[in-house]
Amino acid sequence: MAVKTNVSAKNGKDVGFERIRRITGYLVGTMDKWNDAKKAEERDRVKHGLSR
Amino acid sequence: MVKSIVKRDGRVVLYDENKITAAILKSLKAAGEGDAEQAEQVAHAVGKRLDALPQENPRIEEIQDIAEQELMHAGFENAAKQYILYRAERTRIREAKTSLMHAIDEITNVDARQSDMKRDNANIDGNTAMGSMLQIGTAGAKAYNAAYLLTPEQSKAYAEGDIHIHDFDFYALTTTCCQIDLLRLFKGGFSTGHGYLREPQSIGSYAALAAIAIQSNQNDQHGGQGVPNFDCAMAQGVAKSFARLYRRKLRDALEDVLDSEDETELARQATEAGEEATGHPARLEIDAERFDEAVCAALVGTGRLDEKAAASIVRRARRRAAESTDRDTFQAMEGFVHNLNTMHSRAGAQTPFSSINYGTDTSPEGRMVIRNILLAEDAGLGHGETPIFPIHIFKVKEGVNYNPGDPNYDLFQLSCRVSAKRLFPNYVFLDSPFNLQYYRPGHPETEVATMGCRTRVMGNFYDPEREIAYSRGNLSFTSINLPRLAIESKGDEALFYEKLDAMMEMVAQQLLDRFEIQASKRVYNYPFLMGQGVWLDSDRLGPNDEVREVLKHGSLSIGFIGLAETLTALYGHHHGESEEMQEKGLQIIGHMREFCDRRGKEMGLNFGLLATPAEGLSGRFLRMDQKRYGIIPGVTDREYYTNSFHIPVWYEISAYDKINKEAPYHALTNAGHISYVELDGDTANNVEAFEAVVRCMHDAGIGYGSINHPVDRDPVCGYVGVIGEVCPRCGRREGEELSPERIAELKKLYPEVTAFCGCE
Repeated sequence: MAVKTNVSAKNGKDVGFERIRRITGYLVGTMDKWNDAKKAEERDRVKHGLSR
Repeated sequence: MVKSIVKRDGRVVLYDENKITAAILKSLKAAGEGDAEQAEQVAHAVGKRLDALPQENPRIEEIQDIAEQELMHAGFENAAKQYILYRAERTRIREAKTSLMHAIDEITNVDARQSDMKRDNANIDGNTAMGSMLQIGTAGAKAYNAAYLLTPEQSKAYAEGDIHIHDFDFYALTTTCCQIDLLRLFKGGFSTGHGYLREPQSIGSYAALAAIAIQSNQNDQHGGQGVPNFDCAMAQGVAKSFARLYRRKLRDALEDVLDSEDETELARQATEAGEEATGHPARLEIDAERFDEAVCAALVGTGRLDEKAAASIVRRARRRAAESTDRDTFQAMEGFVHNLNTMHSRAGAQTPFSSINYGTDTSPEGRMVIRNILLAEDAGLGHGETPIFPIHIFKVKEGVNYNPGDPNYDLFQLSCRVSAKRLFPNYVFLDSPFNLQYYRPGHPETEVATMGCRTRVMGNFYDPEREIAYSRGNLSFTSINLPRLAIESKGDEALFYEKLDAMMEMVAQQLLDRFEIQASKRVYNYPFLMGQGVWLDSDRLGPNDEVREVLKHGSLSIGFIGLAETLTALYGHHHGESEEMQEKGLQIIGHMREFCDRRGKEMGLNFGLLATPAEGLSGRFLRMDQKRYGIIPGVTDREYYTNSFHIPVWYEISAYDKINKEAPYHALTNAGHISYVELDGDTANNVEAFEAVVRCMHDAGIGYGSINHPVDRDPVCGYVGVIGEVCPRCGRREGEELSPERIAELKKLYPEVTAFCGCE
């Protein structure tokens, strides 16, 4: 739930966290704007460990 | 007697046999047979048939069927054929209009969150008036272009998902992108079409004009805008600022010490002495001693100051000038970043897609730029938010910034620290063999630069003397649905390559067809890109000249998507799973590259192979293939195809292995490539680990790399970092409010946070 930061919320009520992710080489502030395919891909992304 | 007929839209109108006569006469004329009298006879025969019909009001389609038949009955077979063709054409155009109308309906009325089509480009807010208008324009242009500018073969391939023609809406209008050489642009000033901008004289103006240049160029092209030499260009601004500030600080110090009102003249004389002695204005670090000595001597020479006093004043002036310049530079860089996140281009609907390349300028001025653009990125936007634009690309080069002891090594380390927090910069590796081959020290235009999205234009079949990054870009790109070719080949490798070759032929021709349209444009169609000489050699053209020749410096790119799914469809596994599959993968991509090289050399045009960025495309091909072939495990069982040659995002693999598997593909995809590594938040806060990943990329021969990690922010307390369920700073969960006491406490603890969202 990403609510824009200029909302007049009371003491943080209903204010969500911003989650910035890279879409195709560029960043988009909230995942609201991502198309369905890229959203699905982001969900599937695993982390890459640093050991060889 | 037939009285009325029913039109397609349902309206009932009076029957008029003359209209049928006219249509039939047209067909007769088109076929070169019959005459007006015979047309009337056929029309009459049609009327008789209509009378015999059971229903009251025949529909248009029925009438047309009968007209065709009566023409044939009467022996006018060619005319009947003309009639049928004309009817089919009208139907096609009508249907296109309908689907266009439907698209506009969706754009106008549906919330973007519900409409996947409206989220085709995450950079455009499809819910605003301007965003919607832009999308309507897009829909209209696409409908027109599909109807009139593609061959039937191309149209079919595009519509059915064999290929994807990128930026199809702009097909008839312009080219993709450009690397803007700011040094060249600024020299002597430039115009954006509304008045002339003088050559900038301070770092503040340099940065402001850089943003304007990006915005102006964005209005001439549909793709992103890059600056290949950001540090070199801004360095000039730093130098001008310092020279001016040196003189000003000197004057101020003199006025203080001499207790006088105006020492402008003395300051001028003294600095001129320095300029004479060194051959240049006051500069940071360079010739500092010699310059300052000359200034000192000039001051002492007036008899108004002794050695000691003069030396002290000059020292102070230089120090203050350096500090002020640094501050001004930081503010300029901060303003630049803020500008690029807020200014709109493209009919007000979109922030320009901007990229800046830097890292190799080792001059004191260049270093000041690099340090401050990184610090500005680190500071973020007004509330500490992570900036979306520009994309920063740090150019890594051994001997310049990569190894301890290299002049800019400290800046490389700083870049890692900033990137670990803000996701930028990304890294271009100039030492990778396919990049190194162009590099000539002292010639920054031979340093490979990239657009943030990954487009790379460096080689030049058209003009091998100019294999440079500056002032060039991509003309257009079209991507091939590789997985589909594999699916259709049903495991037959030879058949796959046959189909691939045929597809590449078609795409190459389509790129040329599009180039034909782009080439016939005139300079006045690109008032900034060409009119201001931004594009290579466009300064040699007059406003009415065709841009054909100079456009040839650009790239024509054949792209692809889903190598992993392609391999799985053909052989059962993807290239992350085995060496054998990696071999097969390299074979396919290598084969495609060979085609591009061959065609490029033959024609003297810059055909290249592109690892397509694929934002909207990732879903489009997949959805169509799912519909056509159903769910094929490992191929069509997700909602997207894997990007280019990447190891699938869901496949468990170490960073080291992923980097080393993907690196060889960078060498093959000369039109652009990138590799990503996903780190979890913890690792990202460990800058040594971050740097290790970058070094791994360098060693593996990666061309362009990027490290992803979660960047979250709590707008309430301003915390930037990794947030799981609970904010590490204030302990809040999403949507929770804090007590006023807690908020007061946080404000005290974190005074640098300018706004506690929702807590005013």
